[in-house]
Amino acid sequence: MHLLGKLSWNAIPWDQPIPLVAGAVVFVALFAVVAWTILKGHLPYLWREWITSVDHKRIGVMYTLLALVMLVRGFVDAIMMRSQQAIAFRAPGYLPPEHYNQIFSAHGTIMIFFAAMPLMIGLMNFVVPLQLGVRDVAFPTLNATSFWLTATGALLVNISLVVGEFDPAGWLPYPPLSELRYSPGVGVDYYLWALLISGVGTLMTGINFVTTILKIRAPGMSYLRMTIFCWTALAANLMIVAAFPVLTATLAMLTLDRYLGFHFFTNAAGGNMMMFINLIWAWGHPEVYILALPSFGVFSEVISTFSGKPLFGYRSMVAATMFICLVSFTVWLHHFFTMGAGADVNGIFGIATSIIAVGTGVKIYNWLFTMYGGRIRFATPMLWAMGFLVTFTIGGMTGVLLAVPPADFQLHNSLFLVAHFHNVLISGVLFAGFAGITYWFPKAFGFRLHEGWGKAAFWFSLIGFYVTFMPLYVAGLLGMTRRLQHYEVAAWHPWMLVAAFGIVIMTCALACQVTQIVVSIRRRDELRDETGDPWDGRSLEWATASPPPAFNFAVLPDVRGEEPYQAIKRRAIETQQLSSEAQYEPIELPRNSPTGFIAAFFSTITGFALIWHIWWMVGLGLAAAYAVFVWFAWRDVEEYEIPADAVARADRDRRRARAEWLDHHERAGEPA
Amino acid sequence: MTPAKEEINADDVAPGVMEAADHSIRDGIQGYLIGLALAIMLTVASFYIVHTPLIWGPGIPVALVVLAIAQIGVHLVFFLHITTAPDNTNNVLALAFGVLIVALVIGGSLWIMSHLNQNMLPMDQMTRMQR
Repeated sequence: MHLLGKLSWNAIPWDQPIPLVAGAVVFVALFAVVAWTILKGHLPYLWREWITSVDHKRIGVMYTLLALVMLVRGFVDAIMMRSQQAIAFRAPGYLPPEHYNQIFSAHGTIMIFFAAMPLMIGLMNFVVPLQLGVRDVAFPTLNATSFWLTATGALLVNISLVVGEFDPAGWLPYPPLSELRYSPGVGVDYYLWALLISGVGTLMTGINFVTTILKIRAPGMSYLRMTIFCWTALAANLMIVAAFPVLTATLAMLTLDRYLGFHFFTNAAGGNMMMFINLIWAWGHPEVYILALPSFGVFSEVISTFSGKPLFGYRSMVAATMFICLVSFTVWLHHFFTMGAGADVNGIFGIATSIIAVGTGVKIYNWLFTMYGGRIRFATPMLWAMGFLVTFTIGGMTGVLLAVPPADFQLHNSLFLVAHFHNVLISGVLFAGFAGITYWFPKAFGFRLHEGWGKAAFWFSLIGFYVTFMPLYVAGLLGMTRRLQHYEVAAWHPWMLVAAFGIVIMTCALACQVTQIVVSIRRRDELRDETGDPWDGRSLEWATASPPPAFNFAVLPDVRGEEPYQAIKRRAIETQQLSSEAQYEPIELPRNSPTGFIAAFFSTITGFALIWHIWWMVGLGLAAAYAVFVWFAWRDVEEYEIPADAVARADRDRRRARAEWLDHHERAGEPA
Repeated sequence: MTPAKEEINADDVAPGVMEAADHSIRDGIQGYLIGLALAIMLTVASFYIVHTPLIWGPGIPVALVVLAIAQIGVHLVFFLHITTAPDNTNNVLALAFGVLIVALVIGGSLWIMSHLNQNMLPMDQMTRMQR
């Protein structure tokens, strides 16, 4: 047996210039960043303040950063697919079929698992403890470990670009194509281990946040005083805890098929490939709502703040959220109506699917009524929210159309379906991500993002979305199926050209986003948020400074109703003074720990070794990762203390800014 | 975590957090011993009924299912401390949610998988047509 398993120089695709050049560019860029960090002496800072940090705010920022980097990676895949289909009419195009297969699989995998999920989990990490009025999540070190395990998965997917290949069998690798017999390469193995490892991280996040929201809240923060974002985070994390084990088990079964000759999903020896499709969607549909619910939470916060009104129908919003949380587990068959089940099964699941739209409908009306009669400020987050309302409604309606089994038989696996789920995911998740990032950026970094570039990015995204995906609806109705490497039908070609033009507009949006960040950082002094409350916010995260101190709140807030921060502000304006200064006490915080980073480092080695069958390295990696946990479990000092006068100093700075605001507010004579 | 420690109160305790509840060590050990005895009894009973003419043959699987469910109940009550008291609402709700999802996924999968050949011709008709 070879010392390096299946790994050899042939694993690097020397004959394929595209991945090679892309890999080289990424490698050079990465090398440059690392070299710059070391030469400038930033490495100790990076290690101390970020890599080993267990602070939920830092972890949230790192999750979001990972999501944005992977979003760009997935977007490059999208550009390649759209340009290939624009060119490949009666022609081979520039991507050979085996490479094209990897690209559409990588696009889906990256966008769902390593862009959308980290984006939402990042926002939850940053915002939920602040909105609950507490100092951190329930298990801070576990939280860091979750992040680094997610990063491991993302790293494995990116390694597959230059070492070996990626999964050619789709973002959900259906057997029998994904079985060893038909996909003998390492591509499916990259997919499996990347998701098995990052899936553990996601599950731990779920446990962490359910515990945090149920057990750790500020005094007086009863369930029905929590923000809708916290409610949707609770629902999404309950669903993670219930659904991700199904994904892990299903992928583990496929792994056993491929590695140890099991027969769960083979046609031979009593296996059934349909069972994979059934189980993967029993995870897959809840997953859609794991992404969508926190997005709805973001929009609820944004729409309420920028309409200057409490959210309309708060309790119905909570009910609709929990309704979706449950019913989303009863609709998964609509992903495979055509698999062969009879009319009874298809009918029931079709009806359940139509019913779940009611919950979302309630939310849409609540948002509209929140805006009705409000003094709407058209800041960038609000633009994303309004773009979402219109676009998501269209996507939702095509979804209800697809929920009708006879219609689905016509449209199954067509570009109509592709257009539908991009319609709901881009408006539902991506727009929410950008709205959330723009909204909470000043809280995280102490200065706002540049409004002009943000608005430009919004308009390019919105128009780019319609120009790209509306033609796909038409092409789907004309019978074009998804994942075509080339085609001969003349009627489809113009629509593909329009869609390719749409991608050009989307690229402009990306350029605006990057420019926005660069411009905002350079002009950070004029965009500075002094008060900690740049948007006239209503929930507790705005009650602390921007950026918040490590301990979030000098004194845990005393919550006396819904929209606690709005109440505090109203009281301050009515009495013309801030609430009296509290008695400051020393605060204990969890110490930083490299546990997560080191465990993920060895998990990466283990995953890579498993993919290439390097068994000695598997043993080594697992033993080392386990040793890290044992070492962590035996630590003596868990917490460090921030002395009372440091807390007092930080809080007095904040109070000074707030007093200035109150002064100014008084003179401006604005209504409260 | 500081807030976690501050906020332990008797109305909302996780299973296993004994310090907040008013239990003496003796009561605790007694509970575990009763649970252990019941669990052993149920285990022995399920092995016993398989080999005895006490129960009608085809009824044995049903008896085993009943004993298994009783076993789950014993574990939940004596070892995981799930009770109906108001301090346990979260735990009971979590359990109910878990049971519901497991029932949906397993029941749904069984139903779906058993329905897959609905649109196929019955096997004997198919062979007749091939002739």
